[in-house]
Amino acid sequence: MGHATIEWVYVGVVIALLTWVGAESWNVERLVEHVPAEAETIKVIGQQWFWTFEHEDGKKETGQLHVKQGVPYKFELVSKDVIHDFNVPDYTILMDAVPGRVNVVWNLFDQPGEFRIQCREYCGFGHSTMKAKLFVEPQTAEAAAEGQNATAQAPAQAPVQSAGPPGMPLTILEGASVQGSPDFDPDTITVKKGDKITVTNKDTLPHTVTSGTGPTDPNNAKQFDTSIIEAGATADIQTTNLNPGQYPFYCTVHPYMTGKLIVQ
Amino acid sequence: MVLEVKQPRPMWEILFSTHHTDIGLLYMITSITALMMGGALALALRAELFLPGLQIMPDPTSFNRFFTVHGTTMLFLWAIPFAAGVGNYLIPLMVRYKDMAWPKLNAVAFWMIPVGAALVWLGFSDTGWTAYPPYSIIRAPGPAAEMWIFGLKILGISSILGSINFIVTILKCRHPDLSIMKMSLFAWSILSISFMTIVAVPTFAASLIMLYTDRLGISGFFNPAMGGDPIAYQHLFWFTFHPEVYIFLLPAVGMLYEIIPKFSRKPLFSYQSGVAAFVLLALIGFASWAHHMFATGMSFTEKTVFMVGTLAAVPASSMHVFNWIATMWGGRIKFGAPMLFGVGGIMLFFASGAGGVVNTALPLDFITHDSYWVVGHFHLILMGTVSLTFTGFIYYLFPLITGRMYNERAAQVHFVLAFVGVIFVFMTQHLLGLHGMPRRIADYDGTIPGWLIMNQIATIGAWVAGLSYVIMLVNLIKSAGSGKEADVKDPFQIGEEYYDYTRREPHH
Repeated sequence: MGHATIEWVYVGVVIALLTWVGAESWNVERLVEHVPAEAETIKVIGQQWFWTFEHEDGKKETGQLHVKQGVPYKFELVSKDVIHDFNVPDYTILMDAVPGRVNVVWNLFDQPGEFRIQCREYCGFGHSTMKAKLFVEPQTAEAAAEGQNATAQAPAQAPVQSAGPPGMPLTILEGASVQGSPDFDPDTITVKKGDKITVTNKDTLPHTVTSGTGPTDPNNAKQFDTSIIEAGATADIQTTNLNPGQYPFYCTVHPYMTGKLIVQ
Repeated sequence: MVLEVKQPRPMWEILFSTHHTDIGLLYMITSITALMMGGALALALRAELFLPGLQIMPDPTSFNRFFTVHGTTMLFLWAIPFAAGVGNYLIPLMVRYKDMAWPKLNAVAFWMIPVGAALVWLGFSDTGWTAYPPYSIIRAPGPAAEMWIFGLKILGISSILGSINFIVTILKCRHPDLSIMKMSLFAWSILSISFMTIVAVPTFAASLIMLYTDRLGISGFFNPAMGGDPIAYQHLFWFTFHPEVYIFLLPAVGMLYEIIPKFSRKPLFSYQSGVAAFVLLALIGFASWAHHMFATGMSFTEKTVFMVGTLAAVPASSMHVFNWIATMWGGRIKFGAPMLFGVGGIMLFFASGAGGVVNTALPLDFITHDSYWVVGHFHLILMGTVSLTFTGFIYYLFPLITGRMYNERAAQVHFVLAFVGVIFVFMTQHLLGLHGMPRRIADYDGTIPGWLIMNQIATIGAWVAGLSYVIMLVNLIKSAGSGKEADVKDPFQIGEEYYDYTRREPHH
């Protein structure tokens, strides 16, 4: 055909462009994927619907991750239930956490600060709330002082472990993580101001007791928050600072678990 | 056989007919209904995302159910049945045969669709249209997930039966005087997707059964707790559904080959290159499935292979685009509604194809994967290219089916609103993805720079596009009853041959 030449030229140009894109991508990916030998390992555990991090020195963190600036880290991703995806958009870290597999991704954080960690693979009810905070701590002494201030502003989330005599019992029932099952026992707990509440997690998954009606409540966790209570563990809620009234609470991991606290 | 609506017949005669135009009409009416229902779900999803927090949906699970059924409806109840409907209507005309090869099988294939649709809609599953295990096995609530599995099973069988019918009609029932290299390119597109369906869909049909027995707990193919591998499902799934992307796309490409030369008043630039591109795409479409899975922990070699396989599909697609542009070049173009939709579809096809090259480039995939970029990208192809072209073809076939003309002014307003709406929604979603917004989230943090405003732009765009389709619906219903009588030889006044009305085959 007479006018086939122009089409061949066009297809040739397209193929040349694609070859260039492919070769360049191959080369960049090859360099990006190579994990440095001196990288520190952090084990990342995803489960419905929160992240847990285990450092090389055995330190465990839930819902937040502290790393140092300028140190290469190798993340080993695992999942305890369904597929999640560990994602730090600001650092383009993205890899699926697949149950039954260990996936590896690495990064060197060059900017200190606070960044968001989110789940990028659909994992059910709490997919949109499956978030964590990444704190990159600066290396230099001067920057370290700034960093101290930055971390001081972050809400203190030290878990209140149970100590002293047990208070009013509040039990998280086994199977509470399944939507629609009975969760808190009792559902409405009534205490006198100043009473202590001892929360016992009898379920096989971690839970929290956090004030507020749910993750979209702007005042959530303002009155009280046990943070993560591991399976079988207990935590205390102090009511000395609470005014008499009604306080709805929920579990940040499974926001459909709700209850009410009445302080008299 | 033509002018179906103009000759009043009792409803049951159309419903129980095995004639290809009746079945084609039923297919089209069903798929347009599905488009409206799926679109309503999309508008609800976008309305929910207009503001952070939950305003419309009672809980995130409802949101998840909505996007699952939206995706399933648009893909399996709109895109595939509409192509099958147009194929039913036109393929026997184009190959000059009295009907499809097996009329009763044809009717069976159609009537499986409402059954599958009922299962999907009554179940309202929350697995996502991909139904990735282990979520779909160990967490997704039943019986919705089971109903989704069986609904998809039935829809899959329906499309395989339809494809067998098309292949036999085109290859065996073609008029002896009509060589295959003289057959219209739309028939070529239907032939290509029919072969692809027969190769691709059984894989997914098998994995649906495996998913079901896994849910029953009697097997553990994809359940890690029982020694299975969830990634195996993803391979089986995408082996079917990457080729399926071309199964959605190629009928639209074939329709553009009908529309573009006619409205440009010029012969097609190169028939051979169109045929070659169809065959190439049908083959290469099978070489790229795992590019959906780069982030599941694939080895570097696997990723390289599937990147090359994906890039290899681009020259064939770009041959189609070149062909259309070269056909329009120097033509006396008449911008009737079908042509407007066709040209809009080509523009967005180019945009989504360029986005696809970005997705497959390995390092860039890790920026875009599972973000709103991906949502924008595949909607740009499925809504922007496939659905807009299908819409243009609805207008194009309207005089053939009803013998009346639609309101041209309303159709042009429809195009402008739909095109602008699509750009507002899906281009914005590309940017949202680059700002790190994950897909399938019911709620988002409005304080992250850019997220709130971009979500609001996308929602407004979606509502504009939704409104434009209401205009279409009103236009079609009104014009079918009281529109201007069409000139059946050349309804668009372009001086080009329209479909042949003179052959009338008796209903049987």
